[in-house]
Amino acid sequence: MYGGQKALDHLNLNVKEGDIYCLLGANGAGKTTTINLLLGFIEPTSGTAFINQLNVQENLKHTKKFLAYIPENLMLYPSLTAVENLDYFSGIAGKTFSTPELKGFLEEAGLQSEAFSKRISTFSKGMRQKVGIAIALAKEAKVLLLDEPTSGLDPKASNEFGRLLRKLKDKKVATLMATHDLFRAKEVATHIGIMKDGQLKQQFVAGDISLSELESAYLNTMDYKEVAP
Amino acid sequence: MLSYNFKYELTLLLRSRWIQLLSLILVLLFGFSTYNGLKKVETRQDSIIKAKDEVKESDAMMLKLLDSVERGMEVSASSWTIPSSPMAVGNYHPRVAAMEQQPMSFIATGQADLFTHYVKPTVSGDDASLNFTEMTSPVQLLFGSFDLAFVIIYLLPLLIVAFSYNVLSSEKESGSLRLLASQPIGLQHWVLQKLVLRFFWLSLLVLVSLTLVFLVLGLDPFGEPTTFFGLVGLILVYMLFWFALSFLVNIWVGSSAKNAVALLGLWVLFVLLVPSILNQLGNSLYPMPSRNLMINEMRTMKAEVTEKQNEILDNFLRDHPEYALNDTTQSRGFYHRYMASQNLVKEKMAPILDSYEGQLQNQQNWIGKFKWLSPAILVQESLNRMAGTSKENYENYRKQVVAFAGEWRQHFMPFLYNNKDFSQLDYPNIPEFNYEPKAQNSWVSIPPLLLIALGLFGLGFLGSTMRRTHSIIMDS
Repeated sequence: MYGGQKALDHLNLNVKEGDIYCLLGANGAGKTTTINLLLGFIEPTSGTAFINQLNVQENLKHTKKFLAYIPENLMLYPSLTAVENLDYFSGIAGKTFSTPELKGFLEEAGLQSEAFSKRISTFSKGMRQKVGIAIALAKEAKVLLLDEPTSGLDPKASNEFGRLLRKLKDKKVATLMATHDLFRAKEVATHIGIMKDGQLKQQFVAGDISLSELESAYLNTMDYKEVAP
Repeated sequence: MLSYNFKYELTLLLRSRWIQLLSLILVLLFGFSTYNGLKKVETRQDSIIKAKDEVKESDAMMLKLLDSVERGMEVSASSWTIPSSPMAVGNYHPRVAAMEQQPMSFIATGQADLFTHYVKPTVSGDDASLNFTEMTSPVQLLFGSFDLAFVIIYLLPLLIVAFSYNVLSSEKESGSLRLLASQPIGLQHWVLQKLVLRFFWLSLLVLVSLTLVFLVLGLDPFGEPTTFFGLVGLILVYMLFWFALSFLVNIWVGSSAKNAVALLGLWVLFVLLVPSILNQLGNSLYPMPSRNLMINEMRTMKAEVTEKQNEILDNFLRDHPEYALNDTTQSRGFYHRYMASQNLVKEKMAPILDSYEGQLQNQQNWIGKFKWLSPAILVQESLNRMAGTSKENYENYRKQVVAFAGEWRQHFMPFLYNNKDFSQLDYPNIPEFNYEPKAQNSWVSIPPLLLIALGLFGLGFLGSTMRRTHSIIMDS
């Protein structure tokens, strides 16, 4: 329940290591609520969320050691550089790295080396998302929660972000991504779910469905009726 | 987490133009207020020196006149001012009873703008009508003095509010709170650490600024290390109180705007309202007897005793046979009758003066009981004591002056009633006033203030553990 309304209803979702699970759905479908639940930002009125086999509500602090989160608008400290932000967020998560190691993570996340020592205030959204990925890499996160990470990114940056996700998949990271972007979901996901009114209406293995079939399934779920020209 | 917060909090503070501006303002405020305080002390000290120089000149003139009189020469002066008359010496050549300025007087004006710091008691003057009131500008009384105490008590909390009102809310508003909350940290711990670190850096800034200002203005802060570090200690516990309030507000209130309004409201409450209300209630519960009525009463008594001066003098001489016996001339004039009646006036005025002082004491006791409601009162009291300008200091000075006035009068009484001339040989025996500052514990407010601040931190922390992290993140 959220704000007196049923935000999630009989949601049964399992994301295994190495999976990239994309949650599709209109605004208010419950995608962000699902992520908030896994982050422990909201408490379920019934049901349980697990991360790495640990009950989130009972092990709030412990489960956060395994996860990384990138919101739609990743806000870092604008007056700190990329290296400093990475050092700070890794540090408060209990991970200590040397400057070369921190630069290595940023490089792995695809950030250009000349940006390492620049203040975040000069960064584009795509560059900030890369620092977010570097935080996940440094944290050695087993679970990655992404809330509309590609919204507002240009196609090149969005494509680059997809490439990074596949790199994390190879590292056996379990990724749950809430998105509106059907094309990107089809491109990077191993599994796709369509949500509506807090319920998971349909699930697919991404390889078993074409982009047009996915689009039809999505529109049917949303009860979208094409208006005649 | 602490080491990373420690490292990056300083980096963030140093890179924030707003914080840089606040730091500069703090240094300027400390500098100007200390300079202002020093100037005021210098003015007071100069006026004391000037008064003492006048006495020296007047004494030199008196000794010259005495020399001429003793040589049997004619002197061109009014008969009642010739210093061979003991009453002329007692009335026209009084000593300066000065409240000497203390080493730290510049930090707090205290009662110095209400009371004078020197008087010249005369033999025929009344103790009750000794004027201790300073000539002041009403505008200055309205706005107060811009001294270090004003900066510490009134302005420093505002700087702390500016430093700390949005520690949590700015993260919420910028969006970085969700990223922070996804880390394995307790948000309450994180906020507490951030505020403790800001307290630490601001404390360092205060210490460095004060030291610099003192050195630039030619004061040696380490000349009296106990006093200097006592002052710093008092400032730090006062700052800790405001940081504790800020912690409570950061955890319990919401947006930056609401936090700022809440903290400014608390500033108005603790710095302005509580002291004013206590003062008003003290005046209402224990009203002071009218000074005009007291003066009228005294005049009526004087008029009554003037009519009975011969009778009063007889009674006085009966009580003091040593005067009547030692005088061969038995000549009695105006001053013999006047001084005898003065004693009677003093005795009759005693109950009125006692009731005046009693009410004053009652008021002070009442405020003393409730001063704990406002740390601003506690700090002002401590700073005044440190400066030697507290109400106790002025009360102590007033009592010393009244005692000296009595001593001064008594010194000339045997000359008067024995009809003995004052001579150059008697000059070295004239009583001198030596002000003895009252030793007061200025640090007495530090432990209770520290306890209040730690209590507030404890309360905030306890309360915040009852408030779940998700409510801090999701509330907006």
